[in-house]
Amino acid sequence: MPNKPTVASDWLAGCAGCHMSLLDIDERIVTLLEQVSLHATPITDLKHPPESGVDVGILEGCVNNSTGEHVARQMRARCKVLVALGDCAVFGGVPTLRNGVSCREALRRAYIETESTAEGRVPNDPELAVMQDARALDQVVPVDVHLPGCPPSADTIFFALTELAAGRKPALTGKHLDWH
Amino acid sequence: MNDLPLVNITINGRPVQARAGQTVFEAAAAAGIHIPALCYHPRLKPEGACRICLVEIEKQRSLQPSCTFPVAEGMVVRTDTPAVITSRKASLHMIFSERTHYCMFCPASGTGETTDCELQKLGYEHGLDCWTYAPNYKKQWPVDASREFFVMDHGRCILCRRCVRACEDIAANHTLGLNQRGARAMISADDDVPFGESTCVSCGTCLQVCPTGALHDRQSVYLGHESQIKRTPATCVGCAVGCGIHAITRDNHLLRVEGDWDAPNGGLLCSAGRFEVVEPKPARILQPQVRRDGRLVETSWDDALALIGTRFSEAHLVAGVASPRLTSESLAAFECFFHDVLESSEIALLSGEVPPLDLGTMASLRDVANADCIAVIGGNPLQNQKVLGHLVRRALDNGARLIIVNDETTGIDDWAELQLELEDISFHAASPFERLKTTYHLRVSGMLELKKAIAPAQRPVLLYGSGLSSSVYAALRTLPTQARFLPLVKGANAVGAARLGIEARPVRGDALYVLLGDDPSHGQPLPQSDFTVIHAAVRSAWTDAADVVLPSPTWAEQRGHVVNLEGRRLPVVPLLQAPASVPAYGQTFVKLAERMGQTLLPESLVHLAGPE
Repeated sequence: MPNKPTVASDWLAGCAGCHMSLLDIDERIVTLLEQVSLHATPITDLKHPPESGVDVGILEGCVNNSTGEHVARQMRARCKVLVALGDCAVFGGVPTLRNGVSCREALRRAYIETESTAEGRVPNDPELAVMQDARALDQVVPVDVHLPGCPPSADTIFFALTELAAGRKPALTGKHLDWH
Repeated sequence: MNDLPLVNITINGRPVQARAGQTVFEAAAAAGIHIPALCYHPRLKPEGACRICLVEIEKQRSLQPSCTFPVAEGMVVRTDTPAVITSRKASLHMIFSERTHYCMFCPASGTGETTDCELQKLGYEHGLDCWTYAPNYKKQWPVDASREFFVMDHGRCILCRRCVRACEDIAANHTLGLNQRGARAMISADDDVPFGESTCVSCGTCLQVCPTGALHDRQSVYLGHESQIKRTPATCVGCAVGCGIHAITRDNHLLRVEGDWDAPNGGLLCSAGRFEVVEPKPARILQPQVRRDGRLVETSWDDALALIGTRFSEAHLVAGVASPRLTSESLAAFECFFHDVLESSEIALLSGEVPPLDLGTMASLRDVANADCIAVIGGNPLQNQKVLGHLVRRALDNGARLIIVNDETTGIDDWAELQLELEDISFHAASPFERLKTTYHLRVSGMLELKKAIAPAQRPVLLYGSGLSSSVYAALRTLPTQARFLPLVKGANAVGAARLGIEARPVRGDALYVLLGDDPSHGQPLPQSDFTVIHAAVRSAWTDAADVVLPSPTWAEQRGHVVNLEGRRLPVVPLLQAPASVPAYGQTFVKLAERMGQTLLPESLVHLAGPE
């Protein structure tokens, strides 16, 4: 099938669990690959979505630093439909727990004040990402499809991707809507 | 309610008959039409706080909260139009974004089928897959863990005020309130102090009505969703009120106790009945123990019963003392064993006080909450029959007058319009081992004042204690016929025991058999005897001092009945299975009789306890 929809994925501040759940679709990945063409993902050799763009971009994790923001904006620019995969991408998730303190305070606590640290200092290499408050993906770029869950089940991911492959926006109901 | 006229209304195009005075929500529910809601609770006064139950009502300029809107003839209601659904979803989005509703961290969270959170359930039902408005994560919502048994996480609070209304309407304790307004509104206790330092009595009614995980029970949190637990209606044997409870168990563990909404206590429990009964009892006695060379050592049932049989046969007189928390069936079996096998009538309750039960027409617990005048004569319900005490406070909130006749101060004295003092006219026995028989008296002048104060009441209820002088009881018998009486009994099944002729009194014998169960012995000294058998569920100072210790079932492992202070015979059902090494009391008595060369038929043991 020459005109299969193209898909790329990446992860931001997440635990990779949502991508593990994606792999949990097991042999159905063969069915899926008959319907879509998989491009860059963090678990394949090709890491970045092609400049020519893809039909569906999938992002796991929330945005909590400058690199994450860059990756999110790049994926948004290079895909037609952006999918927020999992609770961190949809709601902000676990990383937002640190939003109660400032980034400066969080870094000082982590790199200087921790009981096990001697003569610590906050890393300041200019190549390092700059820390930000953790935000849900749709607080940074417009999101078209939300797939909440920690992680979303393999069934939900398979359902959503096959719906997208068929050109429909997946409507999550019943067992597919589960963010507990 | 049923006398009120019918009105005809239309809901979703369907003609529905409702009673005047009903709300649209109630009329719809009665007609089987479900309107989602969060702040509504069937046992609380509706308040219209959450805006989830908004419906379209013709001739109203905007959507109206169905939980507070009264029905009227010809009213046309729609509960499922696009405008209603859109508004409901907008309210859900705003509630979710107001605080940190991170479901994954919350004990109430589950799937669409298993969640115990009413907010999450509505989110699922309305297809919420993200939040329109981002929550303010910079704000740290406080967690108040200052109470011993349950925790308040303000981050999960939706300000439905169910807890505030439960504290006001059900517990009548008036601790909780709403502090500040709008986005700054917070549930608070008294003058905004930590819950643990407030006037909160930890009755836990607020915990039972909370729709989210904001209030959660320390002991049962994360141990099972409603879909995973077993819920058994049962009776609390903590005191003589005999509250209806729901015991929540899983895999033979008691996780939690809730108040039975349909019992006369109406969902209300005290801290002891709801929380303290669940506390783990690490010092459970599982094997019989006998004293050898001054030390208690574990032994077999056969060995322990052989020793008891020998010593009881040799004894001149065996005395028996039983906990008032045991069932009538257990007490009857104990009595039968004493009369038939030991040929002793020295049997008494460990504690418990039952005043005369024949003063007039008995009141029910429901009569107390509906009374227009309450007289407390010689007792302290807020301390000894706590739920009854709160029902009294509820009646006072509804305008009942209060008369207190007492020898001590009680927590409700400030509400009394008349306070009379009892005089102590006791004869104090010389021996310290003899129980002090105290007697309190009210002089004729006081009696006349009391009668005068009660006279105008339509539905007076008199709560009276034990130990009053016979002339006071005699005077109470002469009160007008509308007066209803409720005895302030101490001891969960003391009335059941009294029906069996067992009362709290000093007993004498050279051997002693104490049927303790899991009743704490309240620090009383162990009565003196040459040979003491303690039949108990948990280790205590008394078991440490015994010559033989027999393991007994706990309150949650017994079957039978107790009789509460209203005189109602209430079922006690086994909630947990007793360990294999712990038989029921009756079995032990039958085996012990055998050891003593006598026959005690198991069926004869319960014939005294009354009909099944």
